Amino acid sequence: MSDTMPIEDYLAQGGVLSSPANVPPRYRGELLRLMASFVDSELAGSAGFADTINDAPGIQERISAARIVLEKADHAGKVLRVMETFGADGGLYAVHHPWAERLSREADIGAARQGGDMRLSVFHYPLEGWVDAVVMNVLMGRASVVQLKELSRVSYQPLAEVFRAILPRETRHAELGIAGLVQIVDNEQSRASAKASVAYWYPRVAASFGHSGSARFETLSRFGLRHTPNETLLADWQAEVDAQLSALNLN
Amino acid sequence: MARFHPLTVTDVRRETRDAVVVTLRPADEDRAAFDFTQGQYLTFRRKFEDEELRRSYSICAGKDEGVLKVGIKRVDGGCFSTWVNETLKAGDTLEAMPPMGAFFTALEPEVSKHYLGFAGGSGITPVLSIIKTVLSREPRARFTLVYANRQISSIMFREELEDLKNLYLGRFSVLHVLESEAQEIDLFTGRIDGEKCAALFRNWIDIKSIATAFICGPEPMMLAIAAALREHGLRDDQIKFELFASSQPGRIRRKVEAVAGADQGATCEATVTLDGATRIFKFPKQGQSLLDAALENAMDAPYACKAGVCSTCRAKVIEGEAEMEVNHALEDYEVRQGYVLTCQCYPLTDRIVVSYDQ
Repeated sequence: MSDTMPIEDYLAQGGVLSSPANVPPRYRGELLRLMASFVDSELAGSAGFADTINDAPGIQERISAARIVLEKADHAGKVLRVMETFGADGGLYAVHHPWAERLSREADIGAARQGGDMRLSVFHYPLEGWVDAVVMNVLMGRASVVQLKELSRVSYQPLAEVFRAILPRETRHAELGIAGLVQIVDNEQSRASAKASVAYWYPRVAASFGHSGSARFETLSRFGLRHTPNETLLADWQAEVDAQLSALNLN
Repeated sequence: MARFHPLTVTDVRRETRDAVVVTLRPADEDRAAFDFTQGQYLTFRRKFEDEELRRSYSICAGKDEGVLKVGIKRVDGGCFSTWVNETLKAGDTLEAMPPMGAFFTALEPEVSKHYLGFAGGSGITPVLSIIKTVLSREPRARFTLVYANRQISSIMFREELEDLKNLYLGRFSVLHVLESEAQEIDLFTGRIDGEKCAALFRNWIDIKSIATAFICGPEPMMLAIAAALREHGLRDDQIKFELFASSQPGRIRRKVEAVAGADQGATCEATVTLDGATRIFKFPKQGQSLLDAALENAMDAPYACKAGVCSTCRAKVIEGEAEMEVNHALEDYEVRQGYVLTCQCYPLTDRIVVSYDQ
């Protein structure tokens, strides 16, 4: 069984790679970019949510917020360890951007990355208080789950395994968000501000799914690093959160 | 970054005509670093004519053997594997990084599990490590191995596998599939493809009882088996892959001579290849990195941190010379081969040829 085949064909047919030694150069670049985007988003998400701990209205909410901050940092660390096997300096990487930094609430950056900071554009916007943070967490939490389900199928097995391990915990974060939101809509005044936050965050989270018909998607799917087009993932997310929001009478 | 440690070669045993098993001993202070998990591999390095080669080989010892062993099959034109097969001897020293890889599942001594392994040729090495470890550490586990080879004489570890069958009576079974040697049962002759898998799952292997399947072999075999396993109900997280070590490039690449000549200009003409497409553009030698110049010229070059840390933007300089401002990600041997972090890369010559595809 010494017969082999070009690695590109192997990948195109759904093959799986297992170590840095067997990834081709272009695959390597796209794989690292994908990992960097995840790590930056988790670190920025964690850093942005940290202030929310002190806005929490009760012990349980404080614990939930702290847990989200802790676990998102942990998820970044897990993927960063995979990046390290490709030579990345994890120690320097973890501190090379000011992760808590945000643009202004009104900035309009669409889906654009900012310089060498690969966080999803939605993580460049600041949170404004507890209700706003909970709404963002519900919407982005669901988006993360949709995206992680997709990423759990990546053709680089060591990374797919990390994403599969992360998925249930990110799912829990989204559920914690819903639990918080249920409390919030009990009160008419906070329901109104939740509604305003939904109007603010919904299009920004939607933009994080990227463009439809993306050329990069084509490259990534050839490598087995993506499987479902951006627009399908976006539609899945919309269906899920629209149902959740209407159950709470928020859309 | 992982570091290399010296390992003493204590034995080189010929396993088949073109494969040896090398036993290695770490220095006392490195013992903990080399305490491997079953199914992991070692990455070795050695200089051949001034160029450093790195090769990864799976550990074939079980956790309870108390030694470090790798099986190395000679690959046609493979510099490292040929050297090991022909020249390496007991008493020599090899340099290796601590064990890496995730081709294993957690050991659960209390649980009764049925594992299925598929190995093609020297793909047996990590699977053998797993077999020996789970049978010894998980007393209620069973293991079924489907082992593909060209012919009987090329089967690595044939005797050791027979011994394991006797040692773990009723818990370990091997099905040998030989490509070019007829056997009593037709099913065990030829290549492992989807059809053969389906037949195996019909009459020989109860696929519903399988907790985890391990596959290690060449690409076409891995694809066929993975597809068959999925078709028969295994989930992705139940299938563990290790791609054959032989898919690593075997030959030393010739060093590219730097282009001599007057390099006085303030701009550089860059020829950059990405995804098979080549673009030529001019950019200032100072003030703008090669990556930024490529991006400005509408090339979708990969990058992430832009700080010389993550290595996403790695490319190879094929002609010309360049220097990096910062490098926290590439190792010396990669730099010697011509790799650069394009986000930190500034040309020194008037012309530079760079590829993201190599």
